[in-house]
This record gives sequence, structure tokens and C-alpha cells, in this order.
Amino acid sequence: MSLRLVRIDDRLLHGQVVAVWLRALGAQRIVIVDDATARDEFLREVLTLAAPQGVPVEVHDVATGAARLIALAATPEPVIVLARMPRTVLELRHAGVPIEVVDLGGMGSGPGRRRLHKTISVSPDELRELRELEQMGTRVEIQIVADDRPIPFRSLDSGS
Amino acid sequence: MFRKSVAVGAGLMVVLLLAAALPGAVLGANVSSGAPADTGKITVAAWQAALIAFGYYLANSPWLFGLAFFTLYRPLVAGFFVGCILGDPAQGTLIGAAINVPYLGFISAGGTLPADAGFAGWVGTTIALAGGLDPTKAIPIAFGLGLVGTIIFYGRMAADSVFAHWADARAEKADISGVALMNWLPGQALLFVISVVPVFLFALNGPAYVQDALNRLPAWIVTGLVIAGGILPAIGIALNMRFIFRGSVIPYFFIGFILMTNSHGSMSLVVIAALGLALAYLHLSFVRGLAPVKAEVDVASAPGPAVAAAPSIDGAGSGVHLTRGDLLRSWALWTFFAHANYNYERLQGTGFAHAMTPIIRRLYTTEDEIRAALKRHLVFFNTEPNFGNIVHGTVIAMEEQRANGAAIDDDAINSVKSGLMGPLAGIGDTLSQSTITPILLALGIGIAGGTASGSAVPTLTGATGNPLGAIIYVVLVSIVIVAIGYTAWMQGYARGRTFVTELLRSGTIDRVLVGAGVLGNMVLGALAAKFVVVNLAPTVTIAGAQLNIQAAVLDPLFPGALALGLVVMTWWLLRRVSPLLLLSIYLVFAIVAAYPFFGPGQANSSDFSYQACTSSLLHPYYPCGAPPAPPAPTVAPTVAPSTQP
Repeated sequence: MSLRLVRIDDRLLHGQVVAVWLRALGAQRIVIVDDATARDEFLREVLTLAAPQGVPVEVHDVATGAARLIALAATPEPVIVLARMPRTVLELRHAGVPIEVVDLGGMGSGPGRRRLHKTISVSPDELRELRELEQMGTRVEIQIVADDRPIPFRSLDSGS
Repeated sequence: MFRKSVAVGAGLMVVLLLAAALPGAVLGANVSSGAPADTGKITVAAWQAALIAFGYYLANSPWLFGLAFFTLYRPLVAGFFVGCILGDPAQGTLIGAAINVPYLGFISAGGTLPADAGFAGWVGTTIALAGGLDPTKAIPIAFGLGLVGTIIFYGRMAADSVFAHWADARAEKADISGVALMNWLPGQALLFVISVVPVFLFALNGPAYVQDALNRLPAWIVTGLVIAGGILPAIGIALNMRFIFRGSVIPYFFIGFILMTNSHGSMSLVVIAALGLALAYLHLSFVRGLAPVKAEVDVASAPGPAVAAAPSIDGAGSGVHLTRGDLLRSWALWTFFAHANYNYERLQGTGFAHAMTPIIRRLYTTEDEIRAALKRHLVFFNTEPNFGNIVHGTVIAMEEQRANGAAIDDDAINSVKSGLMGPLAGIGDTLSQSTITPILLALGIGIAGGTASGSAVPTLTGATGNPLGAIIYVVLVSIVIVAIGYTAWMQGYARGRTFVTELLRSGTIDRVLVGAGVLGNMVLGALAAKFVVVNLAPTVTIAGAQLNIQAAVLDPLFPGALALGLVVMTWWLLRRVSPLLLLSIYLVFAIVAAYPFFGPGQANSSDFSYQACTSSLLHPYYPCGAPPAPPAPTVAPTVAPSTQP
């Protein structure tokens, strides 16, 4: 299982990922799956250049990302996967990417969003998508940084 | 993590308090031992406790140009100021330096806090200095305090979310000053109360409690604290190694360590840092090549025409233009108040809006425009508050163009903010929190905490602290952080996206990180040699002579080999085990390692008077037959107990 961390984080690649997770997991590759980012040439370049030397960053849309992740999951190379929202992960899962655990790392608040835990807020749609992921057998957990104890989504989601 | 931290910290405190409450006889306390005597107590007056409490508040406050987190919050600096308040700056700095070592790998990113280093520094130094504790003992005690202190941070993060909504209400009324006020007044009032009250009480009563507890604990447990004080620094150093102990710069760690041990701890950290700088230059020239690593900059291909560059400041022509003063005011507001209302819901969101107030005042006149702009910038935002200023500069340029009629909608501005804040925080945290700060801290700590002269093994007992370590650190870190923040802000405004891609493509940051890695490893290695102490105490009898394994066998081959081994092992373990678990294991190990198992005739003794020849794993008590001579002057005797029958 080389997809060491599949993380939903609306800031994608940032301090917690680069300075904490990357080191803690010893990951050697970061794969970002997000349709909008994949279309934005500038952001794609910034993300590619922002990771530490020696850690390649790939930015894919969901279609190419799914194929790439299925291939990577079969290799021993430890990989961190970043997505901006639950729907992306759900789509990856539907496309057959083997995801055992999805980590909610950062989901900002806003109008119509309910706070689940500290920096994790969800919209009603996202809540449905996360429940669907759980039904498909993917565990959903909240773990902001590597040293935190993972909190099961189920324990915070009273409605499911 | 939060609950666990507090639990471990509280556990440590409870053990100490219980010990203070139980009658000494139950625990078999107060037998003379090799543990150093703690002398020179100071009574903390109410005004001193108040000053210390205020100092801790300042360390978390915005009032020091955003530099408090890099300066007063660090135990090294806190130690210096507590020392000044209690009348002994040198000893205060020494204790602060010792307390700071386990926090060398300290990182707070995106609203997480592994431990409250500031609480550990301000309260820990007070307790150790006023209680006349040996600095080594202060290390585990302060670490426990730091874990408990996270309650203040998390309480504030939760409460401040409410004030973000107060700011929303002001924005709805297009009240620019109101939004600014909501970013600092309620959050700071709350922080002041929840910081000052507990620290005041701890500072006033803590020293006596802890002192009392230590007096009632069995001597070997107190000795265990001293051993823990030699082992825990390995965790801080190893946490920091996770960031810089990589690739081709790894050997420099060993060079730093060996230089320090082989000069018996007498080599100046400044000299080692100077050597490190020279080696960094050589490393970049010969190992890596000084030429840009990544592709040549091709400015023409940098995309983003609409927001690539701002019009020049004071540019002629019609429309509204920002002045240099607006930019500076905005930068200053951000630098001061980015974290004034830090909260779970928006993180730096209200801070961003606060910083934009001079820009909004200049660019927008109608109430609708002002309301829209305030609300636009009150949303969730978080980046590294110095290097990440490129985002602000870029956004300000976009706002200026928008105010002058350019077709830039909310989406364009939001996507730049949310797209750039993450990656730039990644680079910024790597630069400021995991490279610059720990390296400069290591330098400052090394200067501040000398080893007692004439000692073969590193020990802080009887050593004299050097306040210069704290002062040099503060000056250096302030200059570097402000320079990064200012440059990022102004370049972000002037060149926007072009600056980001140019900077990243040029490989400059990468070269800075590699160079800093060389210097950092040297300094960190030297620091490990100074602060990590592992001394095998048992003796072996060879040809009738009792030889101490450490002094007679290990040290002649490779001084400090065990300490070095411990640091490298800790670094390796930290990739598999959480720091908190490792900390707990090390604490238990240290106390077990202080129990007097060894020694001829004493192995099964129930008499803990230690007056005959006994030894624990890591701490020798008295040599066989030697008369007890309390108080013993050092953590570990400087001469091996080798010649007695």
C-alpha cells in the first residue's frame, strides 16, 4: 500500500504537508488531483516548484490522476495524495483507485458549512460524499498532522 | 495529540505534587546521594511574578512587530528575561537554553501546537531559577509544563472563532475601523486574561511546590530527572534533524559533534558556525555547483497577464493609486496583527482583512465597494506570515487594478489567495520555522550554555550562562525574519506572479536551504555534544583495578559515542514512533537507569543510603569505600571511580 496518505485539504500543499507529513512518512512523491488546479498553468508550476528538492510533484485532473494512482499504488514508492474536496476522492474511488483511508486535513469554514472539528468544516454535499466513501469501505479520519491521533469521521458525524 | 499532551504533562505535574504532599518517610526521601544539591533559592515577589506573567502574554501577543513568536516565545529568550526579573540574567539564560533544547524541532503550522514552548520557558525558568534547581533537572520539569500550557493555545483558538463573526458584523456595516478593532481587541483581551492568571500563580507558588516535591522524592528518582535532562535534548535535536539531516549534508552533523567533544566542549559555537559558513560555501560550489539548479529563468513565458505586475507606485495617469505609505502601513498591520485573532475557523482570516484596511480606504469610496472588499478578505486564510507575504503583495496589486476598472472579479482574487497561500506556506515554514529559527536558536543556545570548566563530560552544573547567546539570537532572527517579510511583500506587489515563478525557478531557495543545511548540521552536532549526556556508570574489574566502562574504555576511543548513538537512534525512531511516546519511554528509562542496581555487594540492597559502592546504569553514586562527601558537586563525577579496592 504505497498511497501512504490520501488527504483532503483545500490548501493542498502547505506547511503541515511539507514540513510535517512528508518527513513523518518519508514520502518520495506528491500527487495532487484537482481539476481546477490541473487547468491553471501558473498554479501547476508553483505547486511543482514548491515541494522540497527531490520530491517530485504531479498535478492531474481526476481522469488522468486515477490511472496514475492505480499504477503508483502497485509500486512500493511511498506517495502522498492531495485533493481539494471529498468529491475528487469519491471519483477516484469510483475509478478504482485503492484507497483504504482518507484523511481530512484542512477544510475551511464558510457560509453553509458546518464545523466538525477544529479546522474541518463540511457542506451538506460534502457530508454526503464522505458518508458514501465510508459505505464503499474507505475509512474517513481527521488527522491534521502526523503526531495527532486520528479521529474517525463516524464519531463526529451524528447524522449517519 | 492535544489531549495526550496535556495528559502526559499533567501526569508529570501530579507526580511532583503527590510527592510534595506525601510524608517523606513513605518515599524514603532525603537520603544523601550523588545528585547535585540545589542551592541559592530566590523568593519570587508578587511584582516579579506579575512581570513574568506579562512577559508570557507578550510572547504570544502581536505587540512586538510579529516577532514575539520568534523571540520571547523561545525558552532561551524567556530565560534571559526571567533572569533579569529575578536578578540573575546569566543563570536565567543558562536554564532557558537548557529548557529550549528539547524544543529545537518545534513547529507550529496551521493551528497546531505540539507543546507550549513559551509556557515551558517562562514558567520553567522561574521555577528552576527561584528554586535554585540544577538546569539539567529543569529540562524534564519544563517539558511537562509545556504540555500543560497547550490548554491556553487551544482555548484561545476555539474562542477566537467567535470574534471572527463580530468582525463579519462590522464588515456588513462597511465599518473599516470596526473590522480592524475586532481583529485585535477581543482576542487580545481574552489572551491577556488566560495567559497572565495561570502564569502569575505558577510563578508565585511553583518554585516552592516543585522544590518541596523534589526534596521528598527518593534521591534516585531525582537523579532520574537529571539523567532525563541529559537524554531529552536528544529528542529536540532529532526532531530538528528530521528537517535538515538529509542527503549530502549529513556528514556535517558528525563534524560538528566531533569538533565539540574533542575540544571537551570548549570550542566556541561562533567558531563552529563560522566554519559551517565556510563549508556551506564550499559545499555549494563543489558538491552542488553554484549555478542555478533548475531551468534558466524564462520571464517571457511566465503566465498571468492580468495580474503579472502592478502599475508603478505613484504612476501617472487617472484613477486611484496606492502610495508607498499605504503599502508600508498594510505590511506593518499584517506583521503586527496576523495572529492577533488566530482561530480554528478562519486561522489568519481576520488578520488578512485587518492588513487590507489601508488599501481598502485608499481604493474604495462607496459603501457597497467597501463592504464587498471587507467581506472578500475576511474569509479563511492561512500562510506563513513572512515569506507568504508574496500573496498579500500580489492581492494588493490585483485590488488596485480592479479599483481602476480592470476586469478582476472576486474569483480571480480568491483563487490567487487560496492557490498561493498553501505552497508559499510550505516553503515559508521550511525556511523560517524548520531552518532559520532552529539554526539560529542552536547557535544562541550554544553560546548561552557553557559546560562547566574542567569537566570531562558535558554538564551544566556549575556552568555559567552567557546572556549574549539570547541577545545575539534575538538580533539575528529579527533581522532575517523582517527582511524576508518585507521583501516578499514589496516584490509580490511589484511583480506578482512573475516574482513567484522566477524565484522558484531560479533555485535560490533551494541553495539557501542546502547551505543552511550545512551550517545547521554543524551547529546542531556541536549542540548535541554539549547537551546530550549519556554516561555508563558501572565499572568492570580488570587485573584487580576497577575501571569505569565509560571513562576507561569508551571515551578514549570516541568521546561521546553513546550520546551520538542516542541522538542518531532517536532520529531513526522518530520516523516510526510519535515524539510524545518516545518522550514517555525516555522518561521512564531515565528513572529506571538511575536505580542503583550495580556495584559490588549492593545489588540487592534495600538500604538506599548509597554510601557504599553502588551504581545505577547511567549514574554513579559513591565509589566503593570512599566516604560520602555531600553535596557532590556535579551531575556525574568528573573522575571515574576507578582506583578503589
